[in-house]
Amino acid sequence: MEAFIKAEHVSFHYENEDEHQVVQKNVLEDLSLTINKGEFVAILGHNGSGKSTLAKHFNAMFLPSDGKVFVDGIDTSDEEKKYDIRTRVGLVLQNPDNQIVASIVEEDVAFGPENLGVPAEEIRKRVDSALKAVEMYEYRMHAPYKLSGGQKQRVAIAGVIAMEPSCIVLDEPTAMLDPRGRNEVLTTIEKLNREKGITIILITHYMDEAVKADRVVVMDEGKILLDGAPREVFSHVEILKKHRLDVPQATELMHRLKSHGVNINEMPLTASECIKQLEAILK
Amino acid sequence: MVRDITLGQFFPGNSILHRMDPRMKIILMLTLIIFIFITFNFFALGLVVATVVVIVGCSGVPVKLFLKSLKAVIFILLFTSVLNLFYGSGTALWHWGFLSITLAGIYFAIFISIRIIELIFISSSLTFTTQPTDLTDAIERLLKPLNHLHISVHEIAMMMTIALRFIPTLLEETDKIMSAQKARGADMESGNIVQRIKAMIPVLVPLFVSAFRRAYELAMAMECRCYRGGEGRTRMKQLHYSKVDFYCLGAVLIIVSGVILCNIFLPAVMR
Repeated sequence: MEAFIKAEHVSFHYENEDEHQVVQKNVLEDLSLTINKGEFVAILGHNGSGKSTLAKHFNAMFLPSDGKVFVDGIDTSDEEKKYDIRTRVGLVLQNPDNQIVASIVEEDVAFGPENLGVPAEEIRKRVDSALKAVEMYEYRMHAPYKLSGGQKQRVAIAGVIAMEPSCIVLDEPTAMLDPRGRNEVLTTIEKLNREKGITIILITHYMDEAVKADRVVVMDEGKILLDGAPREVFSHVEILKKHRLDVPQATELMHRLKSHGVNINEMPLTASECIKQLEAILK
Repeated sequence: MVRDITLGQFFPGNSILHRMDPRMKIILMLTLIIFIFITFNFFALGLVVATVVVIVGCSGVPVKLFLKSLKAVIFILLFTSVLNLFYGSGTALWHWGFLSITLAGIYFAIFISIRIIELIFISSSLTFTTQPTDLTDAIERLLKPLNHLHISVHEIAMMMTIALRFIPTLLEETDKIMSAQKARGADMESGNIVQRIKAMIPVLVPLFVSAFRRAYELAMAMECRCYRGGEGRTRMKQLHYSKVDFYCLGAVLIIVSGVILCNIFLPAVMR
């Protein structure tokens, strides 16, 4: 597999000025991570683990204090290539209300390509196909404030797709949505990854969302704690608990049963897997 | 409460006015407004009045809506026309103490009130038949020559776009904050004006804080989408002048020359 984003020994700190003394806060510490083309990676961590900060390193919004980040072989600290990087890596933020610029859906989706200087007919094509990809085409003439949270977030995703990036970073895109909106957004993300082969980096603190990824990276205090397939990562229940992180409910249940002496070999990730295993045990 | 606000006064339809290019609409409306104020006799005025009647009729917007838009200026309308009534010089037709009404005064009053009504009707027919976003778009393109004077037209247009986009969001937010403060026992509906204004402070402070936070996030989102000002930016929506625009331009030119001819060859009653 081909590496797409490469973070090499990245540290990030900022200075917080208290009344008299300058306090240095380390957000990321000597972090190295490689993300391959076409992967669906979930980055997990609780508040303050540095996961959002890391996300903003991937599209040159933040530059590392130490170390280097390479996107598609381009060094993110290269000021001249800043916009090249941002067309390759799109970033979707948490609050859909604060990232929609125009008062008509299709004009907002066109905002990115317009900034890139794409010709008008080409923008039209891209906007239509982006809106179809997130299943919001029927809403193209609507005003964004009349849409639901999940729909707004899909419009925001369409706005990024219209720039034709090879990678989309989503920074807690579902944190402000209801369960239905979360589901809509997740289905869209999975579809984009499978059908268009777009690399997806999903920053989240919901375990259930992380389970859907090919690979889960768990962060704590600016460092990578665990990195691997969801099944492998969530089998380290003890480590996760020690760092105040949850595991999916199904895994949690089976873990507790196991510690009480029930014979279980493999940890389930989803409710349906859990039911199957329980049925097998209870027979 | 504010869920169903409509921005601007746009009234959907498919009339000639709706189909016109917003740039042409703005230019023609401005021309007509200028010519309302250089009508010096009843023939010229009558010509403009007839034009406005045709515009209102063509707009496909109920006349009731136009009359409603007069409501806001009814006081100014009455005030200025009554004042003008006593303003004219010449032989008095009627007088009481220092007040006297002259023929010139009556003419003044008629002209002023009709001019104000026309002004409102013309500007309303523009806002009734044009989406606010199309208006900002058209203004951006019309003001483009100002770029040579180092005025960044794109930035002004972007500000208008963002303002339009965030009005509903901030209204909704105000609503939420007001409910939250009421739940905490804030009293916003009673007391005199000073007390009520004071009661708005706990609403305005969080609203401003949140608006700044939104602005910060929006700026970041725009940067993520490669926004770097107006330079090198293309637009998806292109504006094109069509046949309708040129017919309307022709009609307005004929009317304008008619008004000029009336002013030159017929006696003026207004100076």
